[in-house]
Amino acid sequence: MSEDKVIVANRGLVRADFNFWVGRYLDKFYDNLENKKVIGNKCTKCGAVFVPPRKVCGECNVVIPLEENWVDLPDTGTVVNYTITPYRINDRTLRKAKNLLLGMVQIDGSNTSIVYRLLDLEPSEVKIGMKVKIDWAEKPKGDPSDIKGFVKV
Amino acid sequence: MGRQVAIVSAGFSEHASKRSDVNMAELVSEAVSDCLKNAPGVDFNDIDAYVNGNMPAFEGVNLPELWMTDWMGARNKPLLRVTTGGTTGGTVAISGYYTVAAGLPKIDTVLAVAFEQQSQGDTSVGLGSVAYGEISVLNTMGIPYDQLSRLLSAGAAIGVAAYQATNYMSKTHITEEDLARVVVQNRHNAAKTWWSHLKMPDITVEEVLDTPYISYPLRYGMVCPASDGACAMLFTIEEKAKDMCDIPVYVNGVASVANESAVLGYDGSGTGQIDPSEQLGAMKSSELAYYQAGISFPRKEIDYAEVYSPFPNQELMWVEKLGLFEETTAPKMYETGVTSLKGELPINCSGGVNSTNAIGASAMERPAEAALQIMGKADNQVPKTVHTSIGHGWGGSLNLCTLMVMSDEPQRKWRR
Repeated sequence: MSEDKVIVANRGLVRADFNFWVGRYLDKFYDNLENKKVIGNKCTKCGAVFVPPRKVCGECNVVIPLEENWVDLPDTGTVVNYTITPYRINDRTLRKAKNLLLGMVQIDGSNTSIVYRLLDLEPSEVKIGMKVKIDWAEKPKGDPSDIKGFVKV
Repeated sequence: MGRQVAIVSAGFSEHASKRSDVNMAELVSEAVSDCLKNAPGVDFNDIDAYVNGNMPAFEGVNLPELWMTDWMGARNKPLLRVTTGGTTGGTVAISGYYTVAAGLPKIDTVLAVAFEQQSQGDTSVGLGSVAYGEISVLNTMGIPYDQLSRLLSAGAAIGVAAYQATNYMSKTHITEEDLARVVVQNRHNAAKTWWSHLKMPDITVEEVLDTPYISYPLRYGMVCPASDGACAMLFTIEEKAKDMCDIPVYVNGVASVANESAVLGYDGSGTGQIDPSEQLGAMKSSELAYYQAGISFPRKEIDYAEVYSPFPNQELMWVEKLGLFEETTAPKMYETGVTSLKGELPINCSGGVNSTNAIGASAMERPAEAALQIMGKADNQVPKTVHTSIGHGWGGSLNLCTLMVMSDEPQRKWRR
């Protein structure tokens, strides 16, 4: 063969659109974020408080009714776990940039933790057990981005 | 020989085109709650293991079974996910059966859960992924994906069914009216089932025939909806079943048989197979499951059937291929009312897949409903006593059939 010939070429772009329904429980949670308020819900049996709220307590296998057992919580919490990373997804140019702090924060009065960035902190300052509070977005929209992250109290 | 397995309960979630009020895990928990509500003697502590499944790529999230563990009550318990395309529900039910029949220590009671929330996933992309087995054959002959979707599966699954329908119609010399009659029976039945999707108690054959074609000979009014929903079935051993419910339903035969490549031709020949309504998979699976159940005359011995028919021509085809009626006689049976609620052999009294299609759950809803008919707990209960029923599933990429044969008496023939 004198020249390279492509016999079969398949080039296609498949586009996939996915939705994600959060359900009524999380819906209520996000609605409250818009007002800079954190809420959780409480298992009717063991009393565990979930942030974000959920329909079923997996420990007790109890369905928590949508209308009841809501708990108002403060915007303060405790760092229960953390990591420090210079890595940025989809942005390798910034790889050697400033370290990013990610923490699992247990909101005071709840039994679960949520993962957010820890802001305005030096890596050497972070400790498990330290007290933090929510840094709210200026204009909350009722979605997860309303919590910018957590700052030192 | 494995242990005798019994179904003690089955449950459903509410089905609709968009259940945006619940997330996937919450949707599943509805079916699980309903299943346990139907078996008051059972609680989560009695369930030893779980099987879960949905149509791959339709859910839009990875590992949904792990996410919904708590919502099924499966925390710290064995959990298995099975997916086989459109037949997933049937395979999940059969896997539930296998898990109990195997006789593993400490595993007697198994909850099988199948679900689909189609409003979240991208159905066409999902179908693209399951059809890939055959697409790869075409690709070797230089037919790319985008051409294929136009050639073969325009409008997703209906593209496959349209060829089946044309074949079947020319073989049996029936008209579109016969197809519409099947749809009308299903829609009327669905109206009497609480969890069904398309409830149309007053629809007529003329109204169905008045809707535009999607792909000849199938019209808009003839095809299944895309639903969000879930189904759960509880399997246990014979000894425990009697304590858990009034009328245990014994699973006496299961089979899952594929003859894929049925549309594009065997061995990658590339030419369309002559008869996509031949359906050897259905014939082989029913042959095997009936043999296991000791059924020699299906037409006489089976009292109720739920078959997987998103499209009306398939319903006619399946009831013949599964041995319930002689070849080419099914349209007559629908015309004369043999298959209606009060008929001699009622078919799909839940409204069938034609009226409710949460794909991953659909093939489980068939045996679930067929079991409830034996228990006498179905919503649209047939008036006659049902001793033996079958639940059928169809899917895979193009042709995988599952079948479950159930009865109010255990099959002792093969067991000591």
